[in-house]
Amino acid sequence: MRLFFLLILCLLSAWAQDPAALSGQAEQFAREQRFDEAEKLWKQAIQISPGLFPALFNLGYFYYTQQKFAEAEPLLRRASQASRTDFNSRYLLGVALVNLGKSENALRAWQEALEIQPRNLRLMQVMSVEYSKGRYFGEAAALAKQALEIKGDDPNIYFLAIKAYQDAGDDYAAADIAHRAVERFPNSARANFEYAYHLQKRGKTAEAEQRLKAAMAADPLYEEPPFFYGNLLVEQGRNDEAVPYLEKAIKNRNDYIPARVVLARALMNQKKWTEAVSGLQETIALDPKHPQPHLLLSQVYFRLGQEEKARAEKEISLRLRRENPGILEAVQSRPFGAK
Amino acid sequence: MYHKGECLYNLCCGHLHFFLVQPKPVHGVLAAAIVAACFAQGISTRNASPAPKEAPSGRPFPVSFSDAALEAGLRMRFTSGNEQSKKYILEANGTGVAFIDYDRDGRQDLFLVNGSRLEGFGAADAPTNHLYRNEGNGHFRDATREAGVVRSGWGSGVCTGDVDNDGFEDIYVTYWGKNALFRNYRHGKFIDIAAKSGVDGAGKDWSSGCTFLDYDRDGLLDLMVTSYAMFDRASTPAPGTGANCEWKGMPVFCGPRGLPFGKVTLYHNRGDGTFEDVSVKSGMRTVEGFYAFTAVAADYNGDGWIDVYIACDSTPSIFFRNNKDGTFSDIAAETGVAFNEHGFEQGGMGIAVGDFLNDGRLHILKTNFAGDYPNVYRNLGGGIFEDVVMKARLAVNPQYVGWGVGLVDLDNDGWKDVFQVNGHVYPELDAKNGPERYRNPRLVYRNLGSGVFEDVSTMSGPGVQEKKSSRGAAFGDFDNDGAIDVLIMNMGEAPSLLRNHLTSENHWLKIELEGTKSNRSAIGAIVQVEAGKLKQTDVVLSQSSYISHNDSRLHFGLGAGTAASSIRVQWPNGAAESFPGAPAGKCVKLVEGSGKTQIVPMPK
Repeated sequence: MRLFFLLILCLLSAWAQDPAALSGQAEQFAREQRFDEAEKLWKQAIQISPGLFPALFNLGYFYYTQQKFAEAEPLLRRASQASRTDFNSRYLLGVALVNLGKSENALRAWQEALEIQPRNLRLMQVMSVEYSKGRYFGEAAALAKQALEIKGDDPNIYFLAIKAYQDAGDDYAAADIAHRAVERFPNSARANFEYAYHLQKRGKTAEAEQRLKAAMAADPLYEEPPFFYGNLLVEQGRNDEAVPYLEKAIKNRNDYIPARVVLARALMNQKKWTEAVSGLQETIALDPKHPQPHLLLSQVYFRLGQEEKARAEKEISLRLRRENPGILEAVQSRPFGAK
Repeated sequence: MYHKGECLYNLCCGHLHFFLVQPKPVHGVLAAAIVAACFAQGISTRNASPAPKEAPSGRPFPVSFSDAALEAGLRMRFTSGNEQSKKYILEANGTGVAFIDYDRDGRQDLFLVNGSRLEGFGAADAPTNHLYRNEGNGHFRDATREAGVVRSGWGSGVCTGDVDNDGFEDIYVTYWGKNALFRNYRHGKFIDIAAKSGVDGAGKDWSSGCTFLDYDRDGLLDLMVTSYAMFDRASTPAPGTGANCEWKGMPVFCGPRGLPFGKVTLYHNRGDGTFEDVSVKSGMRTVEGFYAFTAVAADYNGDGWIDVYIACDSTPSIFFRNNKDGTFSDIAAETGVAFNEHGFEQGGMGIAVGDFLNDGRLHILKTNFAGDYPNVYRNLGGGIFEDVVMKARLAVNPQYVGWGVGLVDLDNDGWKDVFQVNGHVYPELDAKNGPERYRNPRLVYRNLGSGVFEDVSTMSGPGVQEKKSSRGAAFGDFDNDGAIDVLIMNMGEAPSLLRNHLTSENHWLKIELEGTKSNRSAIGAIVQVEAGKLKQTDVVLSQSSYISHNDSRLHFGLGAGTAASSIRVQWPNGAAESFPGAPAGKCVKLVEGSGKTQIVPMPK
């Protein structure tokens, strides 16, 4: 009898030291919202078995959900090393790394995740956006193209690919995808608009105008086509015709600063100084930190002979540029992994 | 449990991130602002793609350039640091060149500014500036030593003018270090009087542009000097050590952004061989925050007083309006010449000034860094400008870094054409697979009239097709055959001297000016020539293109016209004077106050 109890005690003790059992118990605690106890057991399990995937992942994920990304990162990394085929640990590791400002490492984690699930479209989209944010425009474009090959019936993937190729400086590829998009989705305002943009870049202005009109008819509330059309008219010197389109763009999106700036230019070109001043002041009220409305206001005042006011607006514009040097700047692409 | 496929906390793993997708479409003026806020970068660019070209006009272009440098005897080589890999921006900007008739024999001589290398040189083999005397018949002789203009160091720009009104052009040369003023003592001799005259500078600046100008209309040439940056090797970071030190992911030299800014210095000519630094008094020093290159002095707003436009790199360009009281105000932003039409800062390099519209106004063409269009600032009158680069159809080759540029009538049809030299700043590009290369061909655009140009580079001869990494360029007629030739600075190589083999029947007229009340070089004088239906305008400049100096004789193509019917000059002191017409195929001299035209010889 004593021997039997001793055996039971030994078994219980062994069970208590079994990392898998500890991890399982931790999950149970977690389900019961007893997170402190769960955390303790996961840690204990990892201490006993440093490569135990469920404990590593779940504790990592636990920290992740609490937005403790610095704590989550090493655990998710170890989890991904413990399981060569696990997608989620790599995916979550990437998100944690993005939140820690380590975008390149995040992309590396996602690259591994994509090897595990090579047809994961949503991951491709996420990665494409992240590549673009890091100026790895070539990689973003390649990935978007891959996504497009997998799923050719999602307009958003077309649009993502168009933008990615544009950013990468491959206008021909972007134009080709825009063309395919408009053929695939002829009633899409966005597809018509994207294609119009590329037609105009190739000097096919009349065709571009047709596409823009189609885009405006397809979605009268979409702000981009009237803005772009208005801008096109201003570039052609058709300032008076441009105004209603630019006003329409602004009506569709009141805080659309580029449209407001082009409208001001159209009014200035027509010497409609009072309207230009009032529009620019309204724009400044909406976005006081954008340098461009101040610059144009300075130019209007100068033309009106009000040099002091012109200088004051110029100074504001220059100061705002200094405070945000990237606001009016086009950035350079770079290859992933470049130092 | 998760490893059996279950997700903890009933969250489907992976969904958290997807709110990030669905980017909005971004185009045109908006495009830049999207990701830029996160990234500073060393130099301004726009990633602009070439604008579409119109169908060819089909008109023949009778201009063909070939490189005559070797046969002309131009054996010097330019030195500008390492030509495989550049550690500092100091090695990248190159130098200016000048056409100058220093001995007044009627032939254009050549002055070439040279640079150095980081390792330095022994005293005996240090590169120097070169002065080549035009011996006639297309031959030049190196007169550097006998003329006394030997000077080694990191040279930059050159401008010329007659500072003492003795009838002989003097030469000012800028450096990283002390600048030089080579006074022309006639008989082919120069002496550097910069220190004695008070215009040698502080020695710490990296001076770039310069221009003589008579800003107070006292008949004496004053001097403006721009500096690119305060450059110090010890405090300049190594290539690739930050966002300002990479180009498309490739580690390259840092800058200009991140380097201490340059400045503008204005010297007033006292008339006794010395100058006074009036930078503060004139208000110029109040303008800060720029990397300045070429400075071009001209009366842009038509008020009879000389102003200055300065091309700045990756910072707003500067337009100093002459306030007529010894002070200047920078009104570039107000008048539309600080940025491009969308408000972007640009990598400004060279400037051409001229009337390509034949509307009587001085317009500005500015070259910029790669991935950007040049600016074609059309003067609307009163010194207000608008950028008409798209309308002018000059947005078709943004792939090159543009430097020296001229608005010159290459085919003598009475409309000013464009010649531009190019060259990237990063030789490391040649080792990459990308499309960008360190050495590029030149560009020629023919003026079709009405302010529209056509790219005729491929029709303009082998000299235009030559691929070099060029910087300075000067425009002049070295063989006096009535066709504009081009002198070009090439990084790490000999200069190019492109001879224009013009096969047109079009006529031409050259005009040489001599001020009497105004400065003798007549710098700032604006000349209008009428011939048939053509009414052309040009201006005498001390510096233009890229920190270079052109032939001071103004060249007018007359088309089919066999004579100019009238000539009108607005002298630098503000007075206007009319002169009788002149026959085509000649160079005429106009002396201020004489009212007469005088034919001067043009020896071959």
